[in-house]
Amino acid sequence: MDTILEVKHLCKSFIGVKALKDVSLSIRQGEIHCLAGENGCGKSTLVKNIAGVYTPDSGEILLNGHSYRSLTPVQAMQEGVQVIYQDLSLFQHMTVAENIALAKLKFEKNRFIHWSQVYKIAQEQLDKIGVTIDLNQTVGEISIANRQITAICRALAQDAKILFMDEPTTALTNKEVSQLLKIITDLKEKGLAVIFISHKLDEIFSVADTITIFRNGEKIGSFASSQLDKKKLSYYMTGREVEYPRYYRTVKNDTPVLKVDNLTKAGQYSNLSFSVRPGDIIGLTGLLGSGRTELAMSLFGLNPPQSGSVTIGEKKVSITSPGMAKKYGIALLPEDRFTQGLFMDRDIKENLTSSLIDNLTKHGILDKKEEKKIAEDSVEQLNVRTPSIDTVIGTLSGGNQQKVVIGKWLATHPKLFIMDTPTVGIDIGSKAEIYQQIQAFASGGMSILFISDEIQEILANCNRVMVLSEGKCVKILEEEDLAQENAAQILSELIGHHSSAGKEETQ
Amino acid sequence: MKKLQIDRFQKVLILIIVLYSIFVTIKNPSFFQIATLFDIIRTSSTTMIVAIGLLVVMLSGGIDVSFMSIALFGSYTAINLMISAGINNIFFAFGVSAAIGAVLGLINALLINWLKLPPFIITLGTQNLFHGVMTTFIGDKSFGAGVLPRCLSGFGRSSILNIGGSKLTASVIPVILVGILTWFILYRTMTGRGIVAIGNNEESARRAGFSPFRIRLFVYAYSGILAGIMGMLYVCQTNALYPNKLVGDELTVVAAVVIGGAKITGGMGKILGAVLGVAIIYLLNTTLIMIGLSSSWNDLFVGTILVISVAVTSYQERVRNRNHLIFTE
Repeated sequence: MDTILEVKHLCKSFIGVKALKDVSLSIRQGEIHCLAGENGCGKSTLVKNIAGVYTPDSGEILLNGHSYRSLTPVQAMQEGVQVIYQDLSLFQHMTVAENIALAKLKFEKNRFIHWSQVYKIAQEQLDKIGVTIDLNQTVGEISIANRQITAICRALAQDAKILFMDEPTTALTNKEVSQLLKIITDLKEKGLAVIFISHKLDEIFSVADTITIFRNGEKIGSFASSQLDKKKLSYYMTGREVEYPRYYRTVKNDTPVLKVDNLTKAGQYSNLSFSVRPGDIIGLTGLLGSGRTELAMSLFGLNPPQSGSVTIGEKKVSITSPGMAKKYGIALLPEDRFTQGLFMDRDIKENLTSSLIDNLTKHGILDKKEEKKIAEDSVEQLNVRTPSIDTVIGTLSGGNQQKVVIGKWLATHPKLFIMDTPTVGIDIGSKAEIYQQIQAFASGGMSILFISDEIQEILANCNRVMVLSEGKCVKILEEEDLAQENAAQILSELIGHHSSAGKEETQ
Repeated sequence: MKKLQIDRFQKVLILIIVLYSIFVTIKNPSFFQIATLFDIIRTSSTTMIVAIGLLVVMLSGGIDVSFMSIALFGSYTAINLMISAGINNIFFAFGVSAAIGAVLGLINALLINWLKLPPFIITLGTQNLFHGVMTTFIGDKSFGAGVLPRCLSGFGRSSILNIGGSKLTASVIPVILVGILTWFILYRTMTGRGIVAIGNNEESARRAGFSPFRIRLFVYAYSGILAGIMGMLYVCQTNALYPNKLVGDELTVVAAVVIGGAKITGGMGKILGAVLGVAIIYLLNTTLIMIGLSSSWNDLFVGTILVISVAVTSYQERVRNRNHLIFTE
């Protein structure tokens, strides 16, 4: 196979920080090449240099045999480089057809739009990957998975030869992920080079031909995926052996903190019953849409259930607002920390104390000293790596941002902490650290509801696991079930089996 | 073709217009005649033009509140020039006024691009600035019917259709031309799609190869041109020129366009929607007296419709978000 992209001795610094140190890499036609590494290791910087967004300080980029010191975005595209960024760059209120075809028509310097041509181009791309989407729907109306496909079609329309995908699977359900991975494999067969950036080791191993690992701006090495296993990969990524600590409940008090009986909300979940003791880390798992997030929202007062009861301590309660949930000692770490967990433009201090505003004010005036003290304590306790508590939260890495969300709720001293996929988009090093913290909270007597679909993560952290499918409880696994050798397999079958029995998604 | 279809939101607006018209007819049968329709068309024609201009700006994700100031500046300057040079040509009048509008619109775009400030602040500033420059350096006298070039009142009075003594004003010609031209630009040219694209997502539009700066230049210049045309049309209809008219009426037009379904955050909106939004406002305007209410009820009704239409769109969005489990409270 021919080498389509070659990078030689590429260096790039930002204000004194070396983001890429002498990186060389070659990518062949028809291969799936994964770039792996922790956040900030230089993967994205490399992609942006190749796509012409950044200008390298030194080095050479060879595309289809043409040598470049640096590229413009247009040159990159003419060489067939297409990047699908995490935000997908789609136009919400425009139709799928137009989203696919517009960039192509624009680059061909068309001055006028012929709609028949727009639809023709769009349909051709969908046919190439064998998917049907209603071309007349606007992007805002379709699922995240279909948006991803729209973005892929847009790249194909522009004759992509080298397709970069930056964490394409973060917001997808397991089934959608397999559909996407299949599409990627098909594209490879058609001769495209696909460069795939992901944090999920499972996915990396299921599609990659070659894996290149980065750490602190340096290339650690390129390996055929058969040369590596998960353990080696994470060792190369972090530079240390990462072993997730396994949690065992040590708290002796068995009086339930929370009891849920026959909780039901039509169309979301039905007849869920379970109880939570101090020191429990209860795993709540199931595919996206199984009702897990809906249940969490109900317990936090955002999605009132229709029947059934919730008992906190001795008292039956009906929680109708997050403020009420907070009073009962419930905290929620939301799935989407960007819009629901943090004020991205504000500093760490304000984010950390935002859940405590009532306690921090006297006669409506904010006690700045106390605010600062609490913030400093949290930053230290949670080991948030930041230059100062006045740093804007949006500039931190995902792992550190998540620590702030945790700290914000920790400050309210919750009895029950609901964590919805707490490690989404977080690198392995920070993951282990967050697990340690969560387990320490539980050992201190806090109860935790841990929502996740990563089996390894659940097995490491939870002492009981409830598996949901289509809103129903499939099984509750107790400590002894989880201690078995083949626990991972049992769990994946419980989750997977019920998904394949579910209705086929057509879109 | 999907682009020409009437969407649900517009159907609701049409339904409101029909139901309200039936209501007024029952209250006061004299409403139901062709003369009323022609009258509403005549009085709303000027607003239609600037509403379409504003729609284009809002589609691009911007906003313009200086267009009335531009309309006045363009027409006042053009007519001053015509009077002092003794020119009496209707095309010259519209042409000069539109050209001045284009220049002022370009100034808006340049300021927005250089200062990187929200278009609302910039155009609020230029609204005062343009008006101030006009009254200070060009003139602040009023001109009565006697001094104005005769071609203006000639055009303002002329009609293209006469049904039983009711005349349809020739002012609809510029409105229709502007409507067709804008439709063509928005749906048939790459620039037009670029306008919608940057209104949806500026960064993505840039990645797709559009230049937000160039598009902004076009959009604000186009809004300026339409404002210039509107200003001249207004003088033709009123047959008098005052240095302090129009300015201050911008927000009614913004209200009309928003009622018509345009999103204030950009990227969404239809020409028909803007036209219907203006139609509703003028329908209320002309009929309140017919149903026995004083004209002071006008603001109340316009305000209510505006709040309801915005609330309905926002509610629908919230329901959709809730289905995707996004809770925004």
